[in-house]
Amino acid sequence: MTKTFKGKNLIRTIFLFVVILSLAIASIACDTQEEPEPNGTDPQVETPENTDEPEPETPSDGLEIHVYTRDSASGTREGFESVIGFGGELTDLASEVASNGEMANQVGNDKSGVGYVSLVTNFEENNLKPLAYNGVAPSVEATVNEEYTLSRPFAYTTRAPGDYESDDQEAIVKAFVAFLTESTEGLEAVADAGGIVDVESGKPWDEVKADHPIVDQDNSHLTIKTGGSTSVEKAVQAALETFQVHAGNVQFSLDQTGSSDGHARVLGEEKDGPNASDIGFASRNFKDTEDVTDAIYSGTFCQDAIVVVVNADNDLIDDATTEDLYAIFTGQVSDWSDVGN
Amino acid sequence: MKGRRYFVDRLMRAIFLFAALMAAAMIVILLVFVTVRGVQPFLPGYPERQEILPFLSGMRWRADQGTYGIGFIIINTLISSILGGLLALPLAVLTAIVIGRIASPKVSQGLTTVVETLAAIPSVVYGVFAAGRITSLVDNLASLFGITTYGGSSQLAVIILLAIMTYPTMTSLSISGIRAVPLTLDSASLALGATKMETYFKVVIPGASSSIVAGFSLGLGRAFGEATAVSMVAGNALFGPTTSLFDRTRTLTSTMLSGLHETTGLDYDIRFSVGIVLMAIILLTNAAIFGLKRRFDKRAQGV
Repeated sequence: MTKTFKGKNLIRTIFLFVVILSLAIASIACDTQEEPEPNGTDPQVETPENTDEPEPETPSDGLEIHVYTRDSASGTREGFESVIGFGGELTDLASEVASNGEMANQVGNDKSGVGYVSLVTNFEENNLKPLAYNGVAPSVEATVNEEYTLSRPFAYTTRAPGDYESDDQEAIVKAFVAFLTESTEGLEAVADAGGIVDVESGKPWDEVKADHPIVDQDNSHLTIKTGGSTSVEKAVQAALETFQVHAGNVQFSLDQTGSSDGHARVLGEEKDGPNASDIGFASRNFKDTEDVTDAIYSGTFCQDAIVVVVNADNDLIDDATTEDLYAIFTGQVSDWSDVGN
Repeated sequence: MKGRRYFVDRLMRAIFLFAALMAAAMIVILLVFVTVRGVQPFLPGYPERQEILPFLSGMRWRADQGTYGIGFIIINTLISSILGGLLALPLAVLTAIVIGRIASPKVSQGLTTVVETLAAIPSVVYGVFAAGRITSLVDNLASLFGITTYGGSSQLAVIILLAIMTYPTMTSLSISGIRAVPLTLDSASLALGATKMETYFKVVIPGASSSIVAGFSLGLGRAFGEATAVSMVAGNALFGPTTSLFDRTRTLTSTMLSGLHETTGLDYDIRFSVGIVLMAIILLTNAAIFGLKRRFDKRAQGV
């Protein structure tokens, strides 16, 4: 008899356990929707009688900062750290995420979170609030006008006139730069690859190419060689692939190794070496030591904008200065209410 | 005639041998490839040479500062995988008893299909589910204790995710183990006056223990090797070890995966070193599980 009871007790205990567990999970899961209310992001509605000073009472006061960062191989991270100027000083408390989408998802789920994403991210869908940087809200127009400065230029330079393998080579490089910077087709290709350009300012390629008769012949024996920054690779490759169709099947090879090689392999000490390139790129402006006055063309072909985002429920910050961001990402401030003080 | 049959026989033999050698060769090639790549960062002459001991015992992983320590990652990986496996094991065994003994053939067929489907779902699907649901569950649970989490990304979320992912593997192996226990043993046990529950727990489960342990170690293998889904809910902390269930963690596989496509040089090669450590840990854990089982078996026979 006793043994029978033991068996029955066991199965009863298991059932009870499962029932309690599922009830607990269900109740916790149901809490999800109601959760924000006790935490009161909207104190006026909840406590009309405390009209005097409801703000300091909000539980958001004392909201810890949760820093999110991209992995160390990310170009966005490299750009962000170089604009804010804290390479290597990132706080140990940061969480690493593997992609732009994951960054958006995590910060959107964490009320205390702060991270940075590219401008093409859908902020509303991910429950994110984009922060203005030094008082300017992020947008394509503001970046193109250089008002929004949490961005970096993608700069290019060509070789000096006459310093090409052949006259045809020089002509095709000139044609490509015109395509990249002036034609609607080229600007669209760059924009589709995530670069920020003013597509409206472009002219149809058919118009632009009048100055570059070389594109009407078969160019499959020519190869445009690019070098320099790795961050520009996506945009430049997209432009070259489109250009190929419009320019007699010209070939290309991208050898992107880093911004410092952009000048060196085109106009600098490596320009006649085995890695010599026709066009060099840098994901920053060329430095004073990198003289580009000899180049046929040099300039900026697009911008890369980075947007600092916080959770949409975070009402403690709308605007961040460079100093604020430096303090947040290096861990000098650990609480949202201390930012900017 | 005889000559032809002899020839076909020899040919088939050669084909089978070739297939077996291919499989074995793959393992060897894989091991050699990973080892050669993974050992490089520690050899003299490597540009940014690393020391082995700080690598194995380090408590910070800061690729941006050139600090690669996986000590805390090893500890975190062991904790999350083993706890996840232990959470799934009782559920798996109980499910297997229901399917193998208690349920009617129709119900048990249906349940088997469900378990097999679960096993076939790709891990990234579990990851998307976990990143949306499990994390918010954990976040709410933490707020009950007054703890704020990183949006629910935590050790606990990883453990729950791994329990869900290892459960089907463990269940399928347990089912086949339980089905292999002869029904005559059940009858004998019942005839001796044991209740059904006693029979299940004292006759059927011990009889199927080999399969259950094999299922556990296969499940743990999946837990150790899971990268995509885990990195979506782990929070990928930069230092450790993680002491709280609600704090963020980092596993060996998520470390290998993060940024792999965009990186070069030391940061790339060191991932192979992490891979060697991971393979060693899986081997050691499996050896430990089977060692423990052998010890229990001996003790059971001794009594």
